[in-house]
Amino acid sequence: MRSPDAIVIGAGIVGASSALSLTNAGLRVLIIDRGAVSSGTTGAGEGNILVSDKDPGPELTLALRSRDLWFEMQEDVGDSFELEAKGGVVVARNDDVPLLNLASEQSLHGVVTQKLDHESLHQLEPYLHPDLHSGIFYPQDAQCQPMLAAAHVIRTVVARGGAFISQAKVTRIIVENSRVSGVETSQGIFRAPIVVNATGTWAGEIATMAGSHLPIAPRKGFILVTEPTKKYVFHKVYDSDYVSNVASSDADLQTSTVVEGTRSGTILIGASRERIGFDGSMNYEILRRLAAQATSLFPILRDVQLLRAYRGFRPYAPDHLPVIGEDGKVGGLWHSAGHEGAGIGLAPGSAALITDAILGKESFMDSSPFSPRRFAKVSV
Amino acid sequence: MSERVSFTFNGIQVQCESGQSIAAAVINTGTLALRTTRFGEEPRSIFCGIGICFDCVVVVDGVANQRACLVTAQSGMKVDSRS
Amino acid sequence: MIVVIGAGPGGLAAAEAAARNGSDVALIDSAPRIGGQYWRHRTEVSGYRNYRADALFAKIKASQSITYISEASVWSIERDGKLIRVNYLQGGTESSLTAEKLIIATGAYDRSLPFPGWNQPGSMTPGAVQALYKGHGVLAGKRIVVAGTGPFLLPVATALAEAGVEIVGLYEAHSPLRWALSPVALIFNLSKFAELIYYWRLLAKHGIRPQFGRAVTSFAHGRVTISHVNSDFHVKAKQGQIVEVDAVAVGWGFLPDLTLGGIAGCRQRVASDGTTVFDVDRNQLSSQPHIWIAGEATGIGGADLSLLEGEIAGLAASGQEIPSHLRIKRYAKEIFAQALSRSYPIRDGWKSWSNEETVICRCEEVTLSNIKESVVELGAEDSRTAKLFTRAGMGLCQGRICSRNVAEIVAGLTGCTVSDEERIASSNRPIAAPISLGLLGDGKK
Repeated sequence: MRSPDAIVIGAGIVGASSALSLTNAGLRVLIIDRGAVSSGTTGAGEGNILVSDKDPGPELTLALRSRDLWFEMQEDVGDSFELEAKGGVVVARNDDVPLLNLASEQSLHGVVTQKLDHESLHQLEPYLHPDLHSGIFYPQDAQCQPMLAAAHVIRTVVARGGAFISQAKVTRIIVENSRVSGVETSQGIFRAPIVVNATGTWAGEIATMAGSHLPIAPRKGFILVTEPTKKYVFHKVYDSDYVSNVASSDADLQTSTVVEGTRSGTILIGASRERIGFDGSMNYEILRRLAAQATSLFPILRDVQLLRAYRGFRPYAPDHLPVIGEDGKVGGLWHSAGHEGAGIGLAPGSAALITDAILGKESFMDSSPFSPRRFAKVSV
Repeated sequence: MSERVSFTFNGIQVQCESGQSIAAAVINTGTLALRTTRFGEEPRSIFCGIGICFDCVVVVDGVANQRACLVTAQSGMKVDSRS
Repeated sequence: MIVVIGAGPGGLAAAEAAARNGSDVALIDSAPRIGGQYWRHRTEVSGYRNYRADALFAKIKASQSITYISEASVWSIERDGKLIRVNYLQGGTESSLTAEKLIIATGAYDRSLPFPGWNQPGSMTPGAVQALYKGHGVLAGKRIVVAGTGPFLLPVATALAEAGVEIVGLYEAHSPLRWALSPVALIFNLSKFAELIYYWRLLAKHGIRPQFGRAVTSFAHGRVTISHVNSDFHVKAKQGQIVEVDAVAVGWGFLPDLTLGGIAGCRQRVASDGTTVFDVDRNQLSSQPHIWIAGEATGIGGADLSLLEGEIAGLAASGQEIPSHLRIKRYAKEIFAQALSRSYPIRDGWKSWSNEETVICRCEEVTLSNIKESVVELGAEDSRTAKLFTRAGMGLCQGRICSRNVAEIVAGLTGCTVSDEERIASSNRPIAAPISLGLLGDGKK
């Protein structure tokens, strides 16, 4: 497909969703990736589709719509990626006032929240430490298997007349008269008036290739995976530190507690955030911290064994909002990147915003807070 | 070396020599299957015998996923195929 | 201090050589007794030239400078400034050793290829029947078929026969004429003829006649199918046979366990037969300062080569010159190791033995059809993606048994070859042995 209507660079969940959305709007879409499906951050994702961890604001609005779009996508593509409205339980470790305040705020903006006292908290999660006495239940939080989702969505795009070319590394963005007209790759040149940059942690490189600029940087995270075990964790469970860490700009290591079970019986434990570039090396001290945090929430996990740990690089912008919209310098170049740790949850919502914008239609929300033009140009 | 050890496997008493592994002791009684798999419920036994494959995992005194080929049988141990 | 991980022939030779030259050595191993797999024993080592084991064991036990830590599972290795910290689990607790130098000699395990029924009780590796017998005095059955490829089948079949097992058949997939491809190796290793004669006598004594060009291609409830295979391992039209057994022991050479060297950051390379091994210099030094690697992890070569590499590593770690006679002997054994790989290659035809229902990843019960679907329907192009889609390699063994097979199956389906990067990446395991979250967290600073 040498001359599609649109080229999407990136076969992770954001690229896949964008391609599906554009395809369903009637465009012939070519997806390209320098690797295979989900070879970037999507392959390291936990599958979080959350509204609980977002302050009221544009990202929460996006997250709410996107969450519902996930279920529409399942209707469209098929029940093939373990999508589940699991619900999230945020536990207050000590002072629960900040959490309760956040929940009140969120509930004014469309988030369903349920205050949990000691009894109801332990009814939802019987294995939680008995000293934990307060929390909030977010029934809208959901879970999926992100690699399967990206793969099935791409399969659907191809079935509907689109195409996917893997192992095609973009070497040049072809710009003529300040408009994009195609891409040059290791597998040849492809021409289209619309190019969507869905390359996540590497989106800045693509922007630079086009003569533009996107300040997206990696934020490293580890995930622990246990042996398959009895079901001890019934929802996504986090402590309220998760909320403040996401919005922080501290360079130092930040950890919060995230614990959930999976269909295969393993338990996933996170979460850490570090700004150390693309240094992918293992850090056992961080693993220890994450383990200690998890067992402080769920003492029974002390006897559960860790089997493996892996890391990924979340793509983030300096203001911790995703970048969704047309490039400020190059017309026809649309970015959907920098979703940090929320890429999976926000993918279909971002795809809807991008598609509406490309077609010149009004969308479900004003996407200007996400505009790439919000970054002051940095002269180097 | 030939001191007798006695433990239970799925509630049934197994006798063996001191120093033998749980897997060796159970296999010596003529039972090959040590557990069934979690998805397909298929029987599994010792496969690599040296602690690499984890096919021989059993629950030992309540602790899951212990390699029966590596754990030395001790008197009074309660070994089960599943918890 | 020097930490030596692994108390098989390689690790023992390293520890002995280092201690002999004035170093303090901590020898750490996961089994209850020294000897590794090759010299596994309950009371004493039996088998070909077992006196070598006795001599080395005696030196180790007599040495004042060797501290032996047994039943200890190393789960990770970290740098601590200039020092190296080895974290291990023993008796339900976590401990660590910190030293200036490390020698890794963690050996190898049987390589397995899938076939229908390979996951059933009674189907195991030759290493398993040997471990059961030599380590625990238990026979896996009264009627056993031993099959696969490689010289390891001989000590296994003969030891079992000596113990009273009926070896119903001994099936080698390759023709022994393949040795003719390696005349130089044979000339440099004439002692191997003595070893061959040793096994031949035992086979004759028990009436075991090895059959060549044969392979076990299925197993179901005690019935083994033995097929004729061509040099590519494809099943020939010629009628095979079915025999009834208690157990079938099938092994296809060995794979080194690269986990700990990988955690320590040691550079790996892919040998000509597709096996990933560590890159070491002529003194067994890895790409990491103060870390030496000896034995099967530098290339499958058997106990003779491991003993030499271990000794060289122990001397090098102690700052000693390596005498040229050791280098010459090692060279002779390296040529022999190359001959082994030339004489017993694993050919692609093994893929044709499986059917759609054959389990490829034993831990997660992933079948051939699941893997095919991940390639054909979902666009998996390498083993990493196939793993993410199917969970193959994500189970308890973390891909030690299946990952190479999955990679080669996926490559076959996509018409590609498995890249070196992919081979090396699949042995990347940050957690070398399972550790409870409680112990892990308790150890935080």
